[in-house]
Parts: sequence; structure tokens; C-alpha cells
Amino acid sequence: MMNSIKALLFYLFLIAGLSACEAPPRTDGANKNLESTRFITSDSVSPDEEYVMITTAINMPLYVNHDQAAFKKWATKMGVKASILGPSEWDIPAQIATFEQVIPQKPAGFLINGTDPGIAQVINKAVDAGIPTVVYDSDIPGGRQHSFIGSDWYEMGRLQGERMVKILNGKGKVAVMGILGMTNMEAGFKGFLDVTQKYPAMEFIGKYDDKANVELAAKIMADLIVANPDLAGVAGFDINSGPGIALSVKEANKKGKIKITTVDAEPEHLQLVKDGVIDYLVGQKRELFTQMGAQMLFDMRHKTIAFSKNDAKAGVVPIPKKIITGSIEIDKSNVDLFIK
Amino acid sequence: MIRDRIVTLSATILLLCIVMSFLYPSQFPTVENFSQIMLNLSIDTIVAVGMMLLMISGVFDLSVGSIVAFSGGLAGYLMYYHDVNFLVAIAAALSGSLLIGFINGFLITKIGINPMIQTLAMMGVVRGFALMLSGAGIQNFPYEYNYIGQVKILGLQSPVWYMFAIVLIFSYLFKNIAFFRRYYFIGSNEKAAHLSGIEVEKMKLWGFVIVGLLAGIAGVLLSSRLGAALSTSGKGLELRVITAVILGGASLSGGQGKIFGAFLGAAFMGIVGNILILSRVSGYWQEIILGIILILAVGIDQLIQKKK
Amino acid sequence: MKLGLKNIAKSFEVVKALHDVSLEFHEGEVHAICGENGAGKSTLMNILTGNIQPDAGDILLDNRKVIIQNNQHARSLSINIVYQERSLTDGLSVAENIFPLPPTKSIGRINFVQLHEQTNALLQQLEIREFSPETMVATLSPAQKTLVEIAKALATNPAILLLDEPTASLTDKETTILFSVIRTLKQRRVTVLYISHRMAEIKLIADRVSVLKDGKYQDTLLTNSCTTEDIIRLMVGRDLQQVDVTTYATDEVVFSVKNLCGKGFNDISFDLKKGEILGLGGLVGAGRTELAMAIFGAIPADSGTILKNGQRINNKHPKQAIANGIAYLPEERKTLGVFLQKSIAENFVSAQLYGKGYSEKLNSQKAGQYSKTLNIRSTSVQQLMSKLSGGNQQKVVLAKWLNTQPDVLIVDEPTHGIDIGAKREIYKILKQLTADGKSILLISSEMEELLLLSDRIAVMREGKLKGILNKMETSENEIIKLAAH
Repeated sequence: MMNSIKALLFYLFLIAGLSACEAPPRTDGANKNLESTRFITSDSVSPDEEYVMITTAINMPLYVNHDQAAFKKWATKMGVKASILGPSEWDIPAQIATFEQVIPQKPAGFLINGTDPGIAQVINKAVDAGIPTVVYDSDIPGGRQHSFIGSDWYEMGRLQGERMVKILNGKGKVAVMGILGMTNMEAGFKGFLDVTQKYPAMEFIGKYDDKANVELAAKIMADLIVANPDLAGVAGFDINSGPGIALSVKEANKKGKIKITTVDAEPEHLQLVKDGVIDYLVGQKRELFTQMGAQMLFDMRHKTIAFSKNDAKAGVVPIPKKIITGSIEIDKSNVDLFIK
Repeated sequence: MIRDRIVTLSATILLLCIVMSFLYPSQFPTVENFSQIMLNLSIDTIVAVGMMLLMISGVFDLSVGSIVAFSGGLAGYLMYYHDVNFLVAIAAALSGSLLIGFINGFLITKIGINPMIQTLAMMGVVRGFALMLSGAGIQNFPYEYNYIGQVKILGLQSPVWYMFAIVLIFSYLFKNIAFFRRYYFIGSNEKAAHLSGIEVEKMKLWGFVIVGLLAGIAGVLLSSRLGAALSTSGKGLELRVITAVILGGASLSGGQGKIFGAFLGAAFMGIVGNILILSRVSGYWQEIILGIILILAVGIDQLIQKKK
Repeated sequence: MKLGLKNIAKSFEVVKALHDVSLEFHEGEVHAICGENGAGKSTLMNILTGNIQPDAGDILLDNRKVIIQNNQHARSLSINIVYQERSLTDGLSVAENIFPLPPTKSIGRINFVQLHEQTNALLQQLEIREFSPETMVATLSPAQKTLVEIAKALATNPAILLLDEPTASLTDKETTILFSVIRTLKQRRVTVLYISHRMAEIKLIADRVSVLKDGKYQDTLLTNSCTTEDIIRLMVGRDLQQVDVTTYATDEVVFSVKNLCGKGFNDISFDLKKGEILGLGGLVGAGRTELAMAIFGAIPADSGTILKNGQRINNKHPKQAIANGIAYLPEERKTLGVFLQKSIAENFVSAQLYGKGYSEKLNSQKAGQYSKTLNIRSTSVQQLMSKLSGGNQQKVVLAKWLNTQPDVLIVDEPTHGIDIGAKREIYKILKQLTADGKSILLISSEMEELLLLSDRIAVMREGKLKGILNKMETSENEIIKLAAH
């Protein structure tokens, strides 16, 4: 008797459980029905209105001094709240976990650092929850973010390639350094190669992974110099490539003999240009990422520009789909204007 | 003392929840928030169950975080680059993780390498393999694979159910099965355990295999729930899990702890993390606060024991 | 310096380790201290080096009363000891080991030149030429290490040097070197307290010998006017307890060991009969525990056979030994026998974690039954082992093994550190077991215990079986003669 009751209960639970199963959505990118484009709007601005930036490696100077500083400044000007959340290490699952826990609180908008294609799903969760969501820095291919704002990395690579060809007169051995496998870096490498490989006298040695680490970049560069005494130029693609490369070039007394182009324009980079170690920088307009990104979130929520009686209902996203901020080119001729 | 820890930890968690419900009435005590907390601690808890097993027997494993990344990476690699059926991919990922656990256990028990050194080295080796397999990350898994970690049952996402199942099963095993019971004896006095006829080495080997398997399961679930195998998966997980297990009543010298304590420890850390996010406390504070909590928990215990 | 002890007493819980001991050590003499295991020698040493404090009595240095607070204090009073266990660091040189606080130059740099000179001078004084200050300790032989230990102790210029079984790991040749060093010390008016089991040595090196027995001072003899017999008589001369002559031994051989060899013992053969208690006597380090461990499969033997009921058994692990009906109650209870942080019930079941499920309820019930029959005093079977007295802990361990239903029970120093009352109870339990047809191999360093319980007594020395004596026809003197040389 007891057993049959237990069995009955078991099956009841099993059936209840199965019927309560809720399968995940079948595809991520494409299903764009009207339902999923609805977003939350508001008629009035309140000081409690909160815009949340979710990033990773939250205390990285590049992020703190540019992205986060501009975002905070914008929030003060607009009289709204700016929150910055995320793990202190480069830890994508932790960024996702943070993101997921903030969604239920329905902030006014999300400004998401596009660190990894793996965050697409949680971006879609936020979009499905009706929260205006802008991705900055790197685009996330599988995500349905309302907008992306960032640099064009292919362009940044192309610019470096063109400058390299110019200063080397179209001949010599060149190499590139950055984080291998990252979508934006790979686009940059491609831009660089598309230009340089048009010149048969330019020999490409290879792509090297410095994992965004100064010591590693310097070590790789030192090895490269030993292995290739006739190395003519190196292009860097992450924030620490330039300083690392420059260190080894200085130590090998090859300053000026090996040409260096790289990305980013931190004070360290600028000083190296002034000293003549680095020849050319492609800076990013990072402040624009977050300042304009946040403004777009604000505009979306407050219907600054409306294309219909009710954009949220009509399935119109009233902000640009994609903004490319463009690059800043720096060399010895204009470097003084950037040094504070 | 173990029983005390389960009581005190439960009470602390309850107290935290009550306080937070007053501070954030519309945000904290919601079904949505709690299912999110549970989901986020499920992966850690599954690994913590294995870590608890090891720490009861007086050892620990630093390679679990890397195994989590490896397992998801291997499954993703097979499905994405070789169109392998998702079940086969999971089987491969789990057997791979099990094998890593076996290698750890074999080298520690048969060759005599110190567990900390062995698993520290393995942490690097396996992380390297994981990076090799998943590169900068793999997305676009088959729907069936994502289903495993994303289906919702009674409003809770599946990893939460897996976690409950594993905690319940292992709790039962540790209470009722002689095999698992032996770990307590090994941890409290290894020599006496040997002289009581317990095959200490063999048991430890099995311990590492079980931990490897659990980390492998966690890795599959994590990648399936994220829909992506990330190269940073499981980063710092080993220390987080050891912290949870110690909070849950384990001791570094072994012989102490209950499986349910592993869940409570992870739950406590998950709730603290959630509180910090709700109160918009910046990322690095989380680590500072968790560190302080650990020192407090263990320190207070020591003081109480000394008084006794 | 003259050292005197006056009415020293020390107890550990219920055991009286030293009882009103008074001794006198003259300056520049080599004074041997003799006694059986547990006679109180180590307690005496620990009191002199400040490791423990006496409950009563005075220590007199040159007739001045001193209280030795700790090891360091002892050293500052010019008392130093060379322990049986070594305190050397293998990875450092001889010089660095001898002077843990070496002479330094500015900013703490070690002055190696001076350090090596110092060491050289010390080694020359002791006439040690076998190694130099720079030699790494790891490369030295056990004997050379003992010499380094002595040099280390002498580096502090002690007036009183304690040597605890210094020749235990030395060969005859090495012993000769040690003795010449001791003679050098004597010339330098150092008082040497020499603890040893070896009668021949004592006669050779000591001026006087004092004997302790059961924590009591017996007498002090001049070595050149006494015989070895005299010393042994003092060591054992107790009023013999009433011997329990009931025996349950039968003629049926249930267990035999043939030509068993392994680490620490060699070519051991004996038979054990049903209902018999076979005593295994000998000095500490004679290889008795190693033999027991091999029979039990804890450290498998290298060669030889073990037969049970005429059938060959091969115990590669304690698990198999248990399955073969053998139980082993280990020697050091705290480190090898019990799980201190576990409950009585859990300790009780610890040898039966194979085959079946684990039921806390069932275990508790069974443990409760044994607890009653063996008269284990505890609040409940859930009480932690660490809260029990030594005697009750030992009874729990006994219960644990009885529950495995063994035919052969090996008990290794079963009453070590246990009070008289519990001792008697354990004796009764062991006798009762033989009445039930079990066979017992009893390892004990207490003569009284061996003579009281055993039907026959096998004596081991330096890993070899020296003889099996019939209890009715033997005496303590005969056993000691076989055990020591």
C-alpha cells in the first residue's frame, strides 16, 4: 500500500515536472518577431534611473581611465545613476553571472563590454526582458543587442599596414603581435596583412601571442630580434604590445632601426612616440564608446527621437544599429598635442 | 563541530536573507533573483561536492577549475569542428575528465607525488589543453546540447536540478554506504585506517577520479548553459570551491565535513556575491569580503575550540 | 659541575612515572642509568632538559636549587642532551648543523671562514677526523650523524651531557669511536649521563650505574666492582605477582609462521595453538612490531610462509588479514589505533567498512552491546574518542577487533600508558578470549605482563628469534639475558 502510494506520487511529480519543462529558444540570432523587440520606455527622467555598465577586469587602467570615467561623467551631467559591475579579473563566466543577476532588477539600460562571443545569450536575455542594451568595444555576432559602438579593427590594422609600408619603403621583414584568436585582433591582423602583402618585397614572419602581457611581449620581441637580425618592423594590437616591443628594441639598441606601430594612446605609448621608439599609434576613441553608448540608451528609454506613435510597440529600435567611432592617428608630428 | 557548522551556516544564511529582504524588498526576495542565485552557484556546488569528498579524506585538488574548462572545451571542439553527435561529445568530455582525475590519483598514490604539487601542475597542463581545444571560445553548439543546460523545469534552469540531485545522492552515499564512509576514517587517521584494513591508496585514487568526473559534469553543464565553451571557464574556481568547502565545515587536515556543508558553503558565497551586486559594490570588494569572511569563520571556530 | 636530584616525583594522569627519586652525579664522571622499558628513564631525561616539570622535588646544580623552565633554559644552565631521534638537517653542512646560529658579518651574512674554523677546532678536540665541517650531513652514516649530534651538543660547552641510547644504531667500530669521544669529555671534566640497555657497554664506559625500576630508585653501583648479574637483579627484582596458572591452551596448532623474513626481522618461525597466549618479549627495537605488521599485511613480509589451520595465507594488506581472521591491536594507540575525532561507534565499526552498507543505527546498537560487556565508561557510544581515558580507548579498540570475529589476535603493548585498574580488566578480557578458543600473540615490554598472561614466551633480539621459553620453567633473568646481551 505504502509503496504504491509512493510510486503514484513519484509519477505525479514526474508528470508535473515534465509538463513544467520550458525548452530554451531554438535559435539565437534570427528570430526577430515584434514581441522580442519590445523595450521599456519612460516619459520622465528620475534621479534613481540607473544605467549599468557590465565589464570584466574591472580595474584595468585602460577601462578605468577611458570607458568608466566617460560613463560616470556622462551620468553626472544627465543627473542619473551610473553603476559599474563585473569581476576584477578577466573572467567571462563571472561577467555573465553578474549580468544575469542584474537583469531581474530591470535597470534603465545596459552598457556591455563586448568581451567574448560567449556573452551573446545573456545579452539576448536582457533584450528579451525589454532593457535597452548597447554593446561597446567589440561586437558580439550572435547577440541581438540594440546597438554596437566601437572601433573598426580591420581599419586599425589597415592604417598600421599603410604606415608600415610607407616608413619601410615597401620592403623588409615584418611581424604582428596581439592576442591570438580574439575576433577584433584577428580582424586587425587581416587589415594589416591585406595592405602589406601587396608589396612582394615585404616579408611577413608571423603572428605572435603576447596575451596582453608586457613581459611576454618583450620576451617574444627579444627572441624575434635574435632570430631575425634584419627585422624591419613590428605592429602591435593590444594595449601592452607596444610597450613590450619598445622595451626589447631599446635594450637591443635597435631604436629607430626597427619600426614600431601599435594601437592605443596611453601616456606610456605617447612618451615612447616622443622618444622616437614607437613610430606610429592608432588610438581608439574609447570615451565615445561609453558616452555615446549611454546617451543612446537614454534616448531609447526616453523616446528622444520617435519614428512612430510607439516605437517599442511598432518594433522600431530608435537608435543606430552600429556606430564606428573611427581612429586617432598619432606620430611624432602631433604627439605633443596629446600629452597632458 | 561539523553539525555546529551546518547549523551556524544555515542560520547565517537565513539571517542574511531576512536583512536583505528588508533592505531590497523589491529586488532580493524574488523568485527570479533566487533562481538566478541558484543557477550561478550550481556549477560551483557540483565541484564542491567532489572537493568535500577529497577534503574529508585529507587532500584537495587544484586542477578542478581547469578540468571544468577542458570538459566544456572538448565537447565543444568535437561538436563544432568534427560534427560529433552531442551525446558522444558529452561522453568524451566526461571520460576525458575522469582520465585526468585518474592520472592525478595514480601519480599521487602510486608514485607518491605530493597532492598539492601534482594538482597544481595538472592545473596548468589541463588549462593549456583547454585553451588549445577551445581557442578564443566556441559557440553555436547543437540545440540538443544547449537544451541540457538551458531547459527549465518548474521555473528553475536544469543545472540547479543537477546540483540538487548530486548533493542528495552524495549525501545519501556518505551516510549509508561503507565505501564513502571510509573517507572519514582515512582523513581522521590515515595510519589507523590502514591498520583497520582500509585500502587508503586505492580510496584516494578513487577520490580523485570522482572529483574529475564531477568537474567534468560541471564543465559540460557550464558550457551548455552558456551556449559557449569559454577559455576563461573555471578560472579561480578551485580556490572558490575550497573556500566554500571550508566554510561548509571541512578542515584542511581531513576527517571533517558533510556533503550538505559543501552546498551551504557555496550557497553562502553565492548569496554574498548577489548581495554585493544588488548593493552595486565593485568587483574587487567581493574578493576582499569573501577573504575576510573565511578568516572570520575559521578564526571563530579556532577560538571556540580553544576555549573548550 | 655537580648535579643532584632530590625526591623527584612525576605522574602522568594515573601512571606514576617517577616516585621519590634522589640521585647524585659527580663532576667528570660517566654515570649510566639503567632500567626496563617504562622504568622512568625518559621522564628523568625530560625533567633534566626542562621539557616537563616535576610534580615534586628539587634539582640541584652545584648544591644550588634550580627550576629548569625549558630546553633553552637547560642549555643556558650548561645541560645539554643528545636524543635518540636525530635533530639534524640533511640539506646543510656539518658546520651549519653544529652551529644553528653561526657567526655573521655585516647585514647578517654568514662568516663561513670563521664558522668552519670553529667547527674544525671542535672536531679536533673530539678527535673526529672522519668528516670535515663542509661535509653535507646527508652523506654521513648513522654513526657519523650521532657524532655530529654530540658535537652539536658540545658546541654549547655543556658541563652536563645527557646521552640517550647513543649506540642504538651504531656498529661496534663506531661505538669505539663514540667511547673515545666520551673519554675525551671526561678528561675535560664534563659530567656524562649515559642511558643504555646494553650491559656490556655500561661496564666498559661508565664509572657508576644507577638503576630505576617502576619509577623508583633502586641503587647505585660502582661498575668495576659489580657484575652484570647484579645490575639485572636490581632491574627486575620485584615481588613477583601471583601468577595466574589457568591455561586454556590446547595442542591444536591453528597458526604458524615459517621462516618469515622482512624489514627489521629475519627467519622467524613459531606455532600458535588454539586457546594459547604466546608472549613475544624483547627490547624496544628488537623487531617485534615489524613482525606483527608483516603477519597482519600492513608491511608485507619479503619471504616466508604463514599458515592458518594448515592452509597457506598471504596477507598483502590488512584487509586480507582481517578476512583471514587475524586482528591486530597496534602499539601506539593515539597515532595508530584510534580515530580521536570520531565517536566510539565509528571507531568500533572502522575495521568493517567492506562489503555492506553503513547503518549508523545498527553500529550504535552493536557498539553499545560491546560497551556493556567490556565495561567501557562513556556517556554514550556517540561520545568522541578523544574524551575517553586511555584505558577506555583501548577497550574500544579491543571491541572493534573482537567484532571482526578473529581467530588470532595480535596485541601490541595492550596496556601501555593505562592505569592499573583498566590493565587488570584488559588482562581478564584476554584470558577470557582464550577460554573462548581464540589464540593470542602478546607483544609486551613489561616482564610482569608477559609472565602473568603468556603460556609460552618467545624472545626476540635484533630481529632474530632467540628462543621460546615455557613460562613454568623460566624466570625474568633468563628472559632479559636472551633479550639483551
